[in-house]
Amino acid sequence: MSLKYGVLGLLAEEPLHGYEVKNRFEAMLGGTWEVNIGQVYTTLQRLERDGLVRPVGSRGDRGKLLYELLEPGRTALNAWLSAPDQGPQRLHEEFYVKLLLATRLANGDLGPLLARQKRAYLQLLRDLNQLEDRAKRDGRNDLARLVRGALLHTEADIKWIDELSEKNGGGSWDTK
Amino acid sequence: MSELVRLTDITKVYQGGVTGALNGVSLAIEEGEFTAIMGPSGSGKSTLLNLVAGLDRPSSGSVTVAGSDLGRLSETGLARFRRDRIGFVFQFFHLLPNLTALENVLIPARLKSRVSAESAGRALMSRLGIGEVADRYPSRLSGGQQQRVAVARALINQPTLLLADEPTGALDTKSGDQVMALFAELHQEGQTIVLVTHDPKLATRYAARVISMLDGRVIDDARLETTERKPADVIRVRSEEPSR
Repeated sequence: MSLKYGVLGLLAEEPLHGYEVKNRFEAMLGGTWEVNIGQVYTTLQRLERDGLVRPVGSRGDRGKLLYELLEPGRTALNAWLSAPDQGPQRLHEEFYVKLLLATRLANGDLGPLLARQKRAYLQLLRDLNQLEDRAKRDGRNDLARLVRGALLHTEADIKWIDELSEKNGGGSWDTK
Repeated sequence: MSELVRLTDITKVYQGGVTGALNGVSLAIEEGEFTAIMGPSGSGKSTLLNLVAGLDRPSSGSVTVAGSDLGRLSETGLARFRRDRIGFVFQFFHLLPNLTALENVLIPARLKSRVSAESAGRALMSRLGIGEVADRYPSRLSGGQQQRVAVARALINQPTLLLADEPTGALDTKSGDQVMALFAELHQEGQTIVLVTHDPKLATRYAARVISMLDGRVIDDARLETTERKPADVIRVRSEEPSR
């Protein structure tokens, strides 16, 4: 997704300056998505051009401009919120391509590649577990839910590696 | 840290099938480590745990735990070893139904003929949050309480090594988390723990070392880092270039 709906969503709560949008967005995402302020201003200008938000009053101290959500902006936000997330499954593309190439180049022996990848996923699981604990400790249950999703995705990646390893068993993996 | 467990070239052959067999396993476990053993069913992980516990003997190779070569022990010696050194927690609790929770906890202590075990047993049960159900029979307890009784029974003789085979496998999420939180606390206090599980989330949450098994062999032995990392280094919520 682009920043567009994140900005519209935050402005639906109350009018904000560009910096407030950046700070609130990053806080909401718990540091998992860092945005630069230039991106926020570009987004606000596009939204203004499309008639979804407008500046309120004149530039305040240090030239800050407050933006508010307009009715068409609210309509666009609601449409986005109510639509399911669709599209193709997004994968760790590098590993997939490595796997395909290794299958051709290493006579089908994927053992070492799979073992290294599994180890990396296990480390990621451990880091995610720690992040989930921290989020819960900080009272950020919304963020803990996000981390939970990432944990389950990583678990699925590990299951897949395990399946490949079982097929790889004897040392060769049939590509036919 | 000193070495507590050493397996050397272990094989285990079962008559009439290969399920759970071991095919040349060597590994060492240090005192104070929390190790998880993972693998699909039939990969040999439970067999491995049973050999370390002295519940079974290998077809070849040696198992040394806390300086004792288990292959040199008689059946009586092995029973004494299990009683004094090993705490074992099973997936399905294995409590005796005609004994109260406290009496179950005290079985290993009575086998060791310790006189003052009852107060130690009650204190341990209070610590595990099951003090109030000490005099109830297992059938009156929830799954989570039964498993905590089993953990208390495993700990009553202050074992050198705590072994657990899918200890949360029969529990709901909340009871499972409680049992695992207890393991984490014990580990903090220095308890050496070996956990068999098929759940990688659980393994990596509690154990810094994860051993993966397949077809009776160790295929990976990973020591994981515990350094805290920035959220953005752990999760990246996908973003694309803003649309025009």
